[in-house]
Amino acid sequence: MFAFTVARRYLYSSPSQTALLISGVALGVTAFVFITALIQGLAIRLTADVTANSAHVSLQQPTRVARVLQNPAVHTEAAALVSTFQRRQIRTWRSTVALLRNQDSVSAISPQITGSAFLVKGEAVAPVSVNAVEVESLNAITPVSTQIISGDANLGADGILIGVRLAQDMGLAAGQPVLFRTDRGIDRLLTVRGVFRSGVQSVDERVAYISLQTARPLFRLPEGVTNIEIKLTDPGSARQVAEFLHGATGLRATPWQEKNANLEGALTAQAQTGTLIQLFSLISVLIGIASALILSANRRRGEIGIMRAFGVSRGFIAAVFILQGLLIGLLGAALGCITGYGLCSWLATLTKPDGTMALPIAPSEGGYVTVMVLTTMGAVLASLIPARSAARLDPLEAIQQ
Amino acid sequence: MTHVLEARGISKSFRNGDELTEVLKSVDVTLEEGELAALLGVSGSGKSTLLSIVGLLLAPTAGTLMISGERVEAFSELQRTLFRNQHLGFIFQFHNLLPDFTAMENVAFPAAAPAGGISAAMRKRARELLERVGLAERMDFPAARLSGGQKQRVAIARALMNKPALVLADEPTGSLDRVAAERVLDLMREVNREDKATFLICTHDEKVAARCSRRITLLDGRVDAAGETFVGESATKLG
Repeated sequence: MFAFTVARRYLYSSPSQTALLISGVALGVTAFVFITALIQGLAIRLTADVTANSAHVSLQQPTRVARVLQNPAVHTEAAALVSTFQRRQIRTWRSTVALLRNQDSVSAISPQITGSAFLVKGEAVAPVSVNAVEVESLNAITPVSTQIISGDANLGADGILIGVRLAQDMGLAAGQPVLFRTDRGIDRLLTVRGVFRSGVQSVDERVAYISLQTARPLFRLPEGVTNIEIKLTDPGSARQVAEFLHGATGLRATPWQEKNANLEGALTAQAQTGTLIQLFSLISVLIGIASALILSANRRRGEIGIMRAFGVSRGFIAAVFILQGLLIGLLGAALGCITGYGLCSWLATLTKPDGTMALPIAPSEGGYVTVMVLTTMGAVLASLIPARSAARLDPLEAIQQ
Repeated sequence: MTHVLEARGISKSFRNGDELTEVLKSVDVTLEEGELAALLGVSGSGKSTLLSIVGLLLAPTAGTLMISGERVEAFSELQRTLFRNQHLGFIFQFHNLLPDFTAMENVAFPAAAPAGGISAAMRKRARELLERVGLAERMDFPAARLSGGQKQRVAIARALMNKPALVLADEPTGSLDRVAAERVLDLMREVNREDKATFLICTHDEKVAARCSRRITLLDGRVDAAGETFVGESATKLG
């Protein structure tokens, strides 16, 4: 295609100008890649932080609303419910767990009894949120064993694990006994087997772990569990999996996103802000291309006039400028993707004194294909203005100038 | 003889606000194959306007125009473009070569652009033309590095690339020194004589006109019958 040869020759004829133009596009694309990688990285980190220590889907018995059974044959003046309360427990939890074990998307399962209790030591009393778990699946949802800072994670028959803040507040240490009083009014002396630090203040001062067997008599639940906590191989699929499990078991299935609606809102707002920044960086790139090509078209008015005089079509002239835009867009986008990836990869190696990443950046999530396509298409669109003006140039007027 | 150009009653007026300026007033011109005609006239006489109309770069206000036996005055923009490419050649005062291309590429350009590239046949023709104008050794030189005279010779070769029926030259020696101008004129005469190419040369230079076989003088937008001269057997009377 001869128009391509002419376009290429025009770009070669002003190497410094072309290099600057391509660098400008590359800079805009680098900014796009950086913002995308940063926003995606932040979303990945926040999601990972949230989902690392909590279940991706929680199964519970749905709230039951009692209703008045009426016999249509018998006229009833009025009926009133005296009480609607019923303890929510999953009696068929073993069959549900069996069903879950057959799901490829499920990576870990933890049937639990959760409830409230008080720890009493002398005059000190502290409320705790109790997670009673199977001993063998202690770490299924939260890696408690790795968070132990004193003692060990061996719950045993009368063991309890407590958070570091709670231990400090009550003056407890591993190996010491503590009175455990449940919301059912049952007391039992347990031994603090280990103290953990999760890093989350509310967990470290309120949460305690005991074994499922220990919890059953204390919470008067000899058979059932209150909830089944599930980890998935892909936390992003929690909504779909929850929907499926609700259909399959009839239980209320809550995905982690529903429990963290604020986080989801924040991530959405962050993504929208990022989109705006990306949009503006692309627009500035495209304005740069359009203005450079408009200048080029003006500078080459005489040449365009001669070409037109010699019977070169308007389409050919337009193609020369559109192809210049295409080349600049492609080269600039490719260069920008390379430098963007390089910059993000370098930033990802920077760490804080505690060893964590300085910037939560994900170099592989730079939106490279998107930015390549958008920049190239945008460059072609931006070149339409100079292409149109060059093609419509009156050859006589251009030659006379 | 075949009329290469037959212009009848060509008029052209320009409107500037309320003012209407009539530049050409019913001009009749015919050129036969192989003529080398000079179009003379003082500044503002309308010679450049007539050349532009004949070159299909400007539409006449009135009149009929036939080139190579084809009525062209009512052609669409696209038809004009194609016709210019296939039947007309142009030589401008300031050569107007494409500076980023070599001499050979400049010569081949009128054929290469519509075809989508420079074919071997085009390369051969361009080489022959450059040899003809004495620039065989400058074939692959960038146009920007040629001297003024060399550039104008490349422009002549370019004008002949598509074997046009009519070559239109606008002050072709206007920007050249005496020696280069002589050489360019000699070359145009030689091409005219040997290839029977028809030339219409717009000039105000009497020396250029003296080298032509015919003089057509415009005066105040009309052909000045007193200013027409026929030299040699290729000349023909004004229509």
